[in-house]
Amino acid sequence: MIDLLSILSIVLIISSLCVFGIRNYKIATYVYAFQTFILVMIFLFLYITYDAEQLGGWAIIAFFTKVIFVPFILLRLIKKLKVEHEDEPLLGFFISPVVAIAFSLAIAMAIYPIYLKFSLIQEHIPLIASITIFMIGIFGFILRNSAIKQILAYCTFENGIHLSLALMAYNSPEIAELGILTDAIFAVLIMAILSQRFFKYFGSLDVSKADELKG
Amino acid sequence: MEIQELLIILMLIPFVASIIIWFAPNNYKVLSILHVLGAILNAVVGLSIVSSVINGQTYFVFNDMFFIDSLGAVFISLISVTGLLVNLYSVKYMQWELDHKHLEVKDTKLFFSLFHLFVFTMTFSVLANNIALMWVGIEATTLSSVFMVALNKNKKSTETGWKYIVICSIGLAFALYATVLLYSAGFNVIHDSHSAMLWTTLIAHAKDIDQYALKLIFIFALIGFGTKAGLAPTHTWLPDVHSEGPAPSSAMLSGILLKCAILGLIRYYAVTGNSLAGFEYVQSLMIISGLITIFIASFFLLVQHDVKRMFAYHSIAHMGVIAFGLGVGGPIGLFAALFHALAHSVTKALAFCVTGNMIQVYGTRDMTKMGGLIKIAPITAILFGIAVCSLVGVPGFAIFVSEFLMIKQSIIGNLNIEVTLFIIGLIIIFIADFSHFNLATFGESRSKVLTNELPLSANLPLIGLAALILIFGLFTVSPWVTLLKNAVNIIIGI
Repeated sequence: MIDLLSILSIVLIISSLCVFGIRNYKIATYVYAFQTFILVMIFLFLYITYDAEQLGGWAIIAFFTKVIFVPFILLRLIKKLKVEHEDEPLLGFFISPVVAIAFSLAIAMAIYPIYLKFSLIQEHIPLIASITIFMIGIFGFILRNSAIKQILAYCTFENGIHLSLALMAYNSPEIAELGILTDAIFAVLIMAILSQRFFKYFGSLDVSKADELKG
Repeated sequence: MEIQELLIILMLIPFVASIIIWFAPNNYKVLSILHVLGAILNAVVGLSIVSSVINGQTYFVFNDMFFIDSLGAVFISLISVTGLLVNLYSVKYMQWELDHKHLEVKDTKLFFSLFHLFVFTMTFSVLANNIALMWVGIEATTLSSVFMVALNKNKKSTETGWKYIVICSIGLAFALYATVLLYSAGFNVIHDSHSAMLWTTLIAHAKDIDQYALKLIFIFALIGFGTKAGLAPTHTWLPDVHSEGPAPSSAMLSGILLKCAILGLIRYYAVTGNSLAGFEYVQSLMIISGLITIFIASFFLLVQHDVKRMFAYHSIAHMGVIAFGLGVGGPIGLFAALFHALAHSVTKALAFCVTGNMIQVYGTRDMTKMGGLIKIAPITAILFGIAVCSLVGVPGFAIFVSEFLMIKQSIIGNLNIEVTLFIIGLIIIFIADFSHFNLATFGESRSKVLTNELPLSANLPLIGLAALILIFGLFTVSPWVTLLKNAVNIIIGI
């Protein structure tokens, strides 16, 4: 019998695949916001089920920073640049998500037993989900050329890491979690500024067009 | 004043300096005075802390979350000494950028402010005992330095900034995973959430932590911190980033930042090495990583004519040398790796600052368009020669000492194939460097010369760096040797 936590984790995997694969920037950003909302739900679920007090606080902080603030920045960026769809990525629109999910799941299945051994919360499917989402984010960087999709990829693997943190280390000192979140917010802000500049100088968000520095 | 108080002050100085400069008026004279004052204060406090740690003491602050031991002190001394001299040089260099309308005063304000913020993040990462905060500090070094590198608003600098933040963020994501996993595996043994985050506790309990988990953790840490340190194959951001920013930012990135990332890796190296996984495991990985890095960098070096890109590939090669030293292991190998961190720090800071002079003289970074530097700017040419001699490991210069010790330890440890490959790599670097040195220094100038030798005030910090290269190459600096030996003992768990 699959429980609610596992269902939410599977929804996380599917949504990260959608963030990776959807061509429309706005829709991909909304799906990312939805994914992060599910992550917040998981934090709350774990908080209640496992009496993990810290995760209540994490849920509130993550809601404001990752569900509201980050998508807000990205939507503003999309509006400012007046861009709608990403260009054809490396490997094509259809193959790249298949490659990403296949490799991500394979890697997750290979290493999750080690994670399981030390996890504070011993849940198989959420742990597999955390590694899969992280890897989909990494493949997002490698396989997609659009700067905005790469920011979304960064946010996706960030979500994977946060799920791992919640499962494996929720009792870690709060200052560490706060530091990690602060870094992530600044990283997204800086990436947003740089992608605006990129669009200005290259007339596109396709980072593969940046070949000034080879050699 | 107590060392603990000084430690807090050391972290506060660059942070406060950054804020003060940020809010200072757009007046270059005021900005440069504030900048230099901040740098001097930072160096004085940093070195006085280091002098108190030489005898092997360790001091903790903020509930043990930050600390300084001999290992941390090695890297604080790099930030203090190299940081100060590069800061001093940057005042004249940025003045030149202003005079030639490459930048506006507000850009230099941003640069100086970020410079101190960058020093703050590096100090933060070196002093962090909490492994998550150490990761936060190292990730923050990227964020604080992006706009130091992408200061000019053009195609190249934008591409550089993007490449920098994207590749380093991906790499450091792996390091964060290593952090989470190490905490989790450590918590199973230590059973205290606060202590399981502390590097000092983790190394003390290393033998009890699951060795298979630690093996995976070290691979993650190697990918993560190795990316930030410029180890192959994730080094690709480094040549662009180190060659694009103003010369002082390249000097800081190459001279100090890479070593801070290496320190992160050394912490994981020590924990894994002291566990049942053993030093043999981590050393094998470091030797492979080091040799691949040296060879990739040395072949790229051969085809470089851009003086800054050449030195950027050197940074990669020398990170490979440090990795090789860690791979060779043993007290001598580890001593050599740490010594190399200092030797490379001062050498590379000098090298990049000299490129600043060369760009001012020729208006180009292309060495095929230079020539005759010895006649046009003899002090710059000699400083360039000292940097190159040290980088290729000529006896009498600092880098020779560490490379010689690494070779010695390799022979003692019967690492014959490894040391042969290491020496071949160094020979390639030697050939590449001296051919480039000849190209720029001798013969006739192949382009219009914009200025002759720079004033002594501009060259003085570089002469200081050159003096350090010779002092550490020719003499045994006893306090420094003691500090390094204590640091080595920490790594091998004595």
